[in-house]
Amino acid sequence: MTGWFAGKTHRVSADVVIIGGGTAGLNAAMAAAQSGAKVLVVDKAHIMRSGAIAGGIDHFFAYMNTGPSWDTRETYLEFVSKVARGASNVRIHEKVYCDELSAALERMEKIGVTLKNKEGKYFRTQAIGQPGPIAINFNGKFLKPAMAKEVLRLGCKVLNRVQVTKLFVRDGQLVGFCGWDMRTGDFYEVQAKAIIIATGNTNRMFKSQTANPFNLWYCPANTGDLHTAAYEAGVELANVEYVRLTIVPKGFSAPGFNAFFGMGAKLVNSLGQQFMTNYHPAGDRAPRHMMVWGALQEVKNGRGPIYVDVRHLKQKELEHLFFTLGIDKDTLPDFLMAKGYNTEGAMIELTVSEPMQARPSELCGSGIKVDINCMSNIPGIFAAGDASDQMGCLHMCVTGGFAAGKSAAAYAATVSDYQLLDDKALVEERSRIFAPLIRKAGMSYGELETIIRIIATDHLVMKTEMSLTTGIKKLDHLDMYREQLKADNFHELMRCHEAMNIQSVAKILAHAALARKESRFGPYHHRADFPETRDEFCGLMVVRKNGDDVGTRFEPLTYN
Amino acid sequence: MPPVIDKRKCQGCGLCALYCPLDVLEMRDGISNVRYPKECWHCGACRQDCAQGAVTIEFLPVMLSV
Repeated sequence: MTGWFAGKTHRVSADVVIIGGGTAGLNAAMAAAQSGAKVLVVDKAHIMRSGAIAGGIDHFFAYMNTGPSWDTRETYLEFVSKVARGASNVRIHEKVYCDELSAALERMEKIGVTLKNKEGKYFRTQAIGQPGPIAINFNGKFLKPAMAKEVLRLGCKVLNRVQVTKLFVRDGQLVGFCGWDMRTGDFYEVQAKAIIIATGNTNRMFKSQTANPFNLWYCPANTGDLHTAAYEAGVELANVEYVRLTIVPKGFSAPGFNAFFGMGAKLVNSLGQQFMTNYHPAGDRAPRHMMVWGALQEVKNGRGPIYVDVRHLKQKELEHLFFTLGIDKDTLPDFLMAKGYNTEGAMIELTVSEPMQARPSELCGSGIKVDINCMSNIPGIFAAGDASDQMGCLHMCVTGGFAAGKSAAAYAATVSDYQLLDDKALVEERSRIFAPLIRKAGMSYGELETIIRIIATDHLVMKTEMSLTTGIKKLDHLDMYREQLKADNFHELMRCHEAMNIQSVAKILAHAALARKESRFGPYHHRADFPETRDEFCGLMVVRKNGDDVGTRFEPLTYN
Repeated sequence: MPPVIDKRKCQGCGLCALYCPLDVLEMRDGISNVRYPKECWHCGACRQDCAQGAVTIEFLPVMLSV
């Protein structure tokens, strides 16, 4: 191993810097560039294949005003108010989604990814509590590289493989940030007039079904790096108490839920009985959190495992289903075939997935609390996509990312000059970043992560005051291992920082969950000591660093 | 272990290692090498981006047998 000190130092600046080049980040970059800003995108992986849709995506939620009442903005907003009640701010939703929707649909066509099928029509399905078939099935296998190429065409600069570790704020205003290149060890000092955080949710926090922390429904590279950095810089977070789960094929935590139930598949227990109507009137088209709740109850009551039954589907429907499953997760059809299932129709065994720290609904986010202009409580720091508290899922990352890019560019235009970075703080952070490389002995990132996952799974999924307070104590106790982490190369060093960030977000989650003395979104926030949903908690639990403590305050949300 | 690189087919273009979102792949001696197989997300980007068809995905027994 060559020493970390061999790495070069680069100082760069841009009007708008997007941290996280996934769907939201790249749409933000497009908007900021089109507004005339000098744009830089910084990604921990490579923008061609980073983020949640690296290998593809098959659905986009949109109302399209085709005539029926379910296909209108009004019904859509009623759906948001009902399904994401207490988490989604409808005023922000209108601005970042509804007002941006038609332009977003046009933009996707313009960059070469059509939402229409081979017959030139929209193939629309209904699931997860939707008021009608508002999920457009489309071939988004190459959406990610198409967006990346558009961002490059617009002249945005890109730093791939750079992990951002610290934000710098002075006198309540953004100055910049620093990060390092996990392929070269180079150190980056970045001045920015505005940044947009678009780094997704936080994964690898809970045990997974096959004990491999990378066999996950969502992208395992999303580890709360910027949730942590933003929190440390004084940024408020919201909706972080939620622990999201879904239903996945046994053995492979892959997306497919929306495709299965959108095509009319049945969720059954091991008695062969459909059970969802016992838990929600929409049955197999209930909101995701209720589907998970139903599945958990069936297993708990001895009627597991659960299966998705597709034997009644017509051959053409089955062909479409297997096709679209492979668009959403490139390797899922291979897995199902290798497991012995076939496209003729089958009872495919499912299981409840690993938990993840993420949004409680497809209609909001979890993370940086944003206002109607996608800005946080700190001027110059914006957020978009799953990393924000109000956006999530493809539809809101495409629309809301663009909204954030426009707002950040407009803000940057009002900032006359770059602020000076603090040299002493940069030296300290650089030393902290590379410290695990110079330790001769110590704990591996894998060992620390394993401990975090055991604690988080036991204490932060199904919750009581005692489970949360003891969970917090255990997580706090792990701080002592931070100074002992050891890395043998840059890859392991990146993972060391990810492990620490997962631990930080787990603590924040626990404090927010402790303050929410009710249950909401079924299993996503279940307090056995407060099992009812309570009107006085209809709103956001806002978290902010308060000295060494995690401060919380409640902000109500109102609905018509 | 996923993915599996057919070393006879790999032409060393490097796209898989350049793009892999989990930094699982590297280039070694001019061809692709799976350095961190346990950290694969099975996203299939490497297989899609390989013009030579050198990448196959193999699922672990723990995924197929449970």
